[in-house]
Amino acid sequence: MFDREIIAEHLVKRYNGSVIAVNEVSFKVNSGEIFGFLGPNGAGKSTTISMLTTRSLPTGGRATVCGYDVERQASDVRRLAGVALQEIGLDPLMKSIEMLVIQAQLFGMSRTQAQKRAEELLEIVKLSDVTDRPVGKYSGGMRRRLDLAMALAHEPAVLFLDEPTTGLDPASRRDIWAEVRRLNRELGMTIFLTTQYLEEADELADRVAIINHGQIVAAGQPAELKAQLGGDAINLTFADDATVERARKQLSDMTNRTQVDRNILRLYLANAAAAVPAVINRLQQTGLQPSSLTLTQPTLDDVFLQVTGQRFTVEPEVEDKVA
Amino acid sequence: MSAITLFPSRTDERSGTMLFLNQVSMMARRSLTTIFREPASVIPGLIISVFFVLVYDGSLNGAARFFLPGQSYLGFILPVSIISSALSGASIAGQAIVRDIDNGYFDKLLLTPISRSALLLGPMIAGALVLVLQTALVILVGFLLGLQPETGFVGVLAVLGYALLIGLAFSGFVIGIALRTGSAAATGGASFLFFPLTFLTATFTPVELLSGWIRTAADYNPITYILEAMRALFNTGWDAEIMLRGLTASIIIALFTFAFAFFSLRARVRRK
Repeated sequence: MFDREIIAEHLVKRYNGSVIAVNEVSFKVNSGEIFGFLGPNGAGKSTTISMLTTRSLPTGGRATVCGYDVERQASDVRRLAGVALQEIGLDPLMKSIEMLVIQAQLFGMSRTQAQKRAEELLEIVKLSDVTDRPVGKYSGGMRRRLDLAMALAHEPAVLFLDEPTTGLDPASRRDIWAEVRRLNRELGMTIFLTTQYLEEADELADRVAIINHGQIVAAGQPAELKAQLGGDAINLTFADDATVERARKQLSDMTNRTQVDRNILRLYLANAAAAVPAVINRLQQTGLQPSSLTLTQPTLDDVFLQVTGQRFTVEPEVEDKVA
Repeated sequence: MSAITLFPSRTDERSGTMLFLNQVSMMARRSLTTIFREPASVIPGLIISVFFVLVYDGSLNGAARFFLPGQSYLGFILPVSIISSALSGASIAGQAIVRDIDNGYFDKLLLTPISRSALLLGPMIAGALVLVLQTALVILVGFLLGLQPETGFVGVLAVLGYALLIGLAFSGFVIGIALRTGSAAATGGASFLFFPLTFLTATFTPVELLSGWIRTAADYNPITYILEAMRALFNTGWDAEIMLRGLTASIIIALFTFAFAFFSLRARVRRK
């Protein structure tokens, strides 16, 4: 049995000799792990996945999937990896069952095996009742599920999902999440998932790497990364930036760390709830009046803000191309 | 440096060759399925082919008495219609590839262990089979107009065989253009590049009646020999030498266009 690891060492992708899309990216995804590759649009997520899945060549560094080099042993990588790309690759004139049978046969199954496997897959992604409809008539969510089924045709050891839920409604998103968890738990599939949704990475991934401008800026378990921020936070909203600044000066000695986000002052404390009375006291003494006070647990968004100095902004969702 | 492997790596007990042939037939069947699900892509070509037969026969039949004594002009002009059909058959195959590139299915196939040649041969064969079908229908129309082939049923099969080869040859070229450009417009235009080839030959009269530059062009044009072979099958009977010349000419074109398509494929799938 081969290992199901994905290893990237100093991966570099440079376009036209100058633009660096991926810059010295290194990580290791362990066997049987769900690994979330998180970053805003254009951070280098898709470029990385395209090198790992043998679609493009690294300009520098190396990567292996299940021990096979993506550059020199591409056909072994293709045999072991399942890939669902952000751009769904389905033929609108064909039926789901036809596409799945072809897919399974291309991976070496006989016609009968392939037929059986295709039916199984349609069951799994809940498309069994629409097999007679051409794919072109499917909704965005259905196409996404069929695309996932295509990636699973040969029971891959490692599954690459490039933004699997972008543009999906919340219900379809939950369906995909449940399926990803099931594949991981029941089949021990290693799953490499890129996403621009913090919530998705937080929800699904055992470990995450955050990529920004082609470089990994943080990596670890979501809980661990959040803990590095220094525990819970008290968020104080003030009328304007000047007040935020004054409050920060007054309160800085009471916290591990402060962070200013627009007109919100965030105080990181080991035990935020217990510190609330003291904070309010201090504010009253100095005559500073916050318009609201909330307690939050840190999110990956805060981690992102911490390591990049900017908010993690997600651009408006891109609607699925209508075929 | 993506190596193009003619045979995929073996994943089970079946031999590589079987696997390869299986992939080719699967891809060809798939192309045919999608082509016939969009009949609008096939029907205009078919109508044009029949139209050619009717118009050429109608307008030149009378005059043919003077330059083709004792022969049927219908049998003489049918092969021209078959060659023109080959252009539309090839164009259908090319457009099928462009469609796959556009909808992303082509990229999806590249992520499977499919042999790169099967990606090419599948649609080529589908395009050729569409041509065989068109040819059969054109010949049927010929029968309705009173065609009586000298070589009988076997001769008609031989004509279909030539059609298959020409279909492969023309499809290879258009598919090459489709792979190189990925553009529907360029692919549509590519079949017109073959247009001169189908007219710089003994299109309307026997080659002996041509003179000057067009005679020279026709002598060097491989299409001339394919036309002559099919015409012999319809009108004058079996002639080994003519058959062989026609066969050689079609195989030569097919080899050239396949090589072109193959290198175009390599350029497209080369990882960057």
